[in-house]
Amino acid sequence: MKVRISFVLLLLLLASAALTLRFMPFDYASQDRTATMAAASAEHPAGTDALGRDRVVRVSAALLIGIGGAVGAAGITTMIAAAFGLLAAFSPAPAAALLLFVSDAFLSVPWLFLLMIARSLLPLTASPLATAVTTFLVLAFLGWPAFGRAVYGGTRSMLSAEWMIQGRATGLRDGQLIRLHLLPHLSSFLVPQFLICVPAFIVAEANLGALGLGVGEPMPSWGGMLLELENSAMIARSHWVYLPIALLVVVLLILESFTTEVKSHA
Amino acid sequence: MRFPAEIAARMTRTLLLMAVAAAGTILLVRFAPGFFSDPREMDAKYAAAARAEMWADSSQRSIASIAVQTVSGWRRGDFGESRQFGVPVSELVRARIRVSALLLAEGLGAGWLFALCAAVPVSAMRRGQALCGLPFTILLAIPTAAMATACILSEQGGPVLVFSLVIAAREFKFLRALLESAWSAPHVLWGRAQGMPVLTLMRFHIVPNAAPRLFPLVTLSIVTALGVLVPIEVMFTVPGIGQLAWAALMNRDLPVLVATSLLMASAVGVAGVFSTGARALEDA
Repeated sequence: MKVRISFVLLLLLLASAALTLRFMPFDYASQDRTATMAAASAEHPAGTDALGRDRVVRVSAALLIGIGGAVGAAGITTMIAAAFGLLAAFSPAPAAALLLFVSDAFLSVPWLFLLMIARSLLPLTASPLATAVTTFLVLAFLGWPAFGRAVYGGTRSMLSAEWMIQGRATGLRDGQLIRLHLLPHLSSFLVPQFLICVPAFIVAEANLGALGLGVGEPMPSWGGMLLELENSAMIARSHWVYLPIALLVVVLLILESFTTEVKSHA
Repeated sequence: MRFPAEIAARMTRTLLLMAVAAAGTILLVRFAPGFFSDPREMDAKYAAAARAEMWADSSQRSIASIAVQTVSGWRRGDFGESRQFGVPVSELVRARIRVSALLLAEGLGAGWLFALCAAVPVSAMRRGQALCGLPFTILLAIPTAAMATACILSEQGGPVLVFSLVIAAREFKFLRALLESAWSAPHVLWGRAQGMPVLTLMRFHIVPNAAPRLFPLVTLSIVTALGVLVPIEVMFTVPGIGQLAWAALMNRDLPVLVATSLLMASAVGVAGVFSTGARALEDA
């Protein structure tokens, strides 16, 4: 029941964000220089930022970009982790040890620190779309090691299951065993991991963005919008400046409820 | 015999991983845009001379020569010379490591205390657990950078508070789950049914059962704390290792970056060795 309410809430948020972008007369980059740092009005329901850009439109775009990017990155991470775990589990012992060492190498440095190193050493002065893609790809390609190790552990324990032994005895090849037996069993494990990755990636993007390493301007993102909070003049003028962080917390709480529910059923 | 062998294996693995972390950092920085830039190029007075010098140095920009320079810096014990500050890296690190270590210790201590103080009573509750845990769930949903910004704007708290909130939000969830499973153990339920006082149950059953499982959690806490060290130190302008790493990243200061990556990797490794050692001692 709780998860259904959360799901409906998330859909409502996404739909309202999409409708806002469709029907508002501004796009996220258009500037109204006569109304910079404006308070809420009929024209700008949540006011404008320092460049006169409509806050509702920008928050809506940030919501869609943030969730879309995080879901895409979590999907890539899940695929990489599943491929890594299965490959290591089906490899001979020395190759498996080498693969696990590679994942340990990624885990030997704290994740957020590694993300910052990787992101800051990639081009920062690219087009906004390129920076958005780069940021989420960095998250995707650095998010898999712990997850991959867990898939490896799960697969190893399944290899000795009776249904696997029977599958082998009936002459199924490794690919068929993976497709017909392992992946369906691993899905109860992969889906919660995917759901854990989505909010983790949203938070990571927000942290990167707040340090200027996230999505480039004028494309809105959670991290970029958090930077607005550093403008004390803007905060003094309007409380709507807290809208992005409030919405971010709501979205993360909704996603957290999915994770809790799915984990309790796994 | 098993205990020293496990520790030795873990130490060897940690050293190997540190070498891989250093090699990875060298590779990333070497191919990063801006690595070959020199601030003197911006000044017309120096531009021609700087370009000529860079041209002459180009043979020393290969990955192999960078690796050799890095290793020779380690052998000298100064970790090479900072490209940005022009002083030995060891000097820079030495001046900042105490600040970061103190911040980490205070943040971790306060965070764990906060999480334990909340998790112990909440785990013993029969109703209203979700409601009591809600503040921690909300804290978990707030990015570190936003927490730091809120502290700066309200002029309340500081880096230690943000550290402790990040740690507490994360550890509360695990601690609550751990303590809940301890409370629902059959012998504890029997003790409760017999009317044994809560403090006696805690002392003789809950704490001894949960304590060994806390070591991996502490390790994870240290890794989390190291991860958020950079944003917290940058936002609060704390002159620590995180801020040094940030400046090195922005200025493509390879020797400093390799040293800070090694420090991070060694801290994670030592935390892992500590966890392994605690588990091995417990098994013994």
